[in-house]
Amino acid sequence: MIRAIAWFCADHHGVFTPAGESWQRPSPALSTSASAVKLIGRPVNYFSRMTTEARFCLCAASMALKASRWPESRGAEIGVASGGCDGCLAADQEYFRDYVASGRTLGRGNLFIYTLPTSVIGEVAIVLSLTGPCLFIHDEVRPLPSLARHAQRIVADGEAAGMLALWSDPRAAVCMAVDAGAGEDKIFELLSKSEATPLQLASGFQLMVQRA
Amino acid sequence: MNVAIAQSDVVTAYGWGLDALWDGLLSNETAIRATDRFAERGFLSNQAAIIPDLEVQGGESRSMAMLRRLLLPLVAKIDPSTPLILATTVGEIEYVEAAILTDRPELAAEARPQVLLRRIKQMLGLRGPATVVSSACASSAIAISRAASVIRHGDARRVLVIACDSVSEFVYSGFSTLLSLCDGPARPFDAQRGGLTLGEGAAWALLAADESPREGVFSILGWGSTTDAVHMTAPDRDARGLSRAIAKACAMAGKTVDEISFIAAHGTATLYSDAMELVALRGATQGPKPIFSVKGGIGHTLASAGLVQILVAARAMSVGIVPPTVGLQVPDPSAVDWAHKTSVRIGRAPLALSISSGFGGVNTAVLLGGGDQS
Repeated sequence: MIRAIAWFCADHHGVFTPAGESWQRPSPALSTSASAVKLIGRPVNYFSRMTTEARFCLCAASMALKASRWPESRGAEIGVASGGCDGCLAADQEYFRDYVASGRTLGRGNLFIYTLPTSVIGEVAIVLSLTGPCLFIHDEVRPLPSLARHAQRIVADGEAAGMLALWSDPRAAVCMAVDAGAGEDKIFELLSKSEATPLQLASGFQLMVQRA
Repeated sequence: MNVAIAQSDVVTAYGWGLDALWDGLLSNETAIRATDRFAERGFLSNQAAIIPDLEVQGGESRSMAMLRRLLLPLVAKIDPSTPLILATTVGEIEYVEAAILTDRPELAAEARPQVLLRRIKQMLGLRGPATVVSSACASSAIAISRAASVIRHGDARRVLVIACDSVSEFVYSGFSTLLSLCDGPARPFDAQRGGLTLGEGAAWALLAADESPREGVFSILGWGSTTDAVHMTAPDRDARGLSRAIAKACAMAGKTVDEISFIAAHGTATLYSDAMELVALRGATQGPKPIFSVKGGIGHTLASAGLVQILVAARAMSVGIVPPTVGLQVPDPSAVDWAHKTSVRIGRAPLALSISSGFGGVNTAVLLGGGDQS
């Protein structure tokens, strides 16, 4: 079931859980590691080098992990799956544009390492010490509910005790904490009808929390 | 539920088909050559494993050119409802190159992996579920595991897995920048190895529910994926992530590592990645087992690499021969009695392990069983 959903976008961030521990607040500007310490719980090396999307993802993943109430000992068995219509397209263009501008001889390694769809969740796994499976998985139809279902299936296969499913683009990140627990999964029903962008979804959850 | 590799095909720098790949590896001659494709760029290497007779039609990517020919036998023959899983690292990255080099930004979106997914569906007339899986150089190994999961859970009787990646300026420049490229053909597990060589390739496998395992049909028995969570590009030198992936795959299959006959290694020929694999394997087994890497022959085919080595492992099980590690001259001290310059006759081989790793510290292990022995 989905234990928790957390979101982060430039204007607001928050958490929604079926257990009712929901909140939302205005977002801090994530310009430095210090600005994110409260959300992530620790200073992060290279934070200022990360892309905006990576920073959003890191905060959303950290909040979802905390709200899931999974025991800390499970860290080694938690994986991360990500999806998003554009994958790493923005990072790909940034790397190659910079390489061309530099004379097409030498690129920048710190840009190149972000040119994979799994680059962002690789950073998330390092910062949050998550050592389960790490993959980008994108279904052609209804990619968001499919992402949650793939995450559930990975847990059901015994590959992980829990999965963070990250749905993001450069404007917002939404993270679901998914495990094999049984329960009436109303959030899943909600997601199954969704074709929303990460930002639309984040705003939807903000409204739900405000109304609650 | 047994998940069998019902049909498959592959193209690498050795040529079209598994026979060409197998014969190339057994010949111990590398398909890696000096290429003039990036001659003016001043990269650290000019070596690559390029498909020699690839016909690229106007406007299409090299990945699509590979798939157009490789998938031809499936056109109008495959059940249109068959689910499709595509493994790729960066999609058709040439479109990003073209967008920036020709100042036509609208082209960049064509590089998104789901665009390639749609093209493949259209070519094959598929109407079932379609998914992109990407996990760096473990992409196709993970795609195989996801496909096997779909079948085991009864969601489909058959799943088509396709993997492809090409040698592009984008990727070549990146690996050159990271000082990862060897100045000659890659020499996996060699004491003097100096880095990887990029290669291009594509492969497909039709996985099918198979209720009656039999001789000559190979099965996906178990799998496990992990992340090192240590470094974005460098592997965990203690190999904890890969060790756990191997243990997970064996546990899922109800087998022990010591029952495995041989190992299809990732074997990129980079200093730390090869060393990490050997740390994992030495820690997991009672003694040496034959390992091989295909990357000295066909280069590192990135997203395709995992599936390519699984198909080679299946052939090795079928003929009872572990192919040589092409390019190996003097084994690294930690690889002595593991990696071999010549092929190794093993006879009956009921179990083989294929391991893959990649950027982001990802690791995947897939356990293969041989027909009725599984």
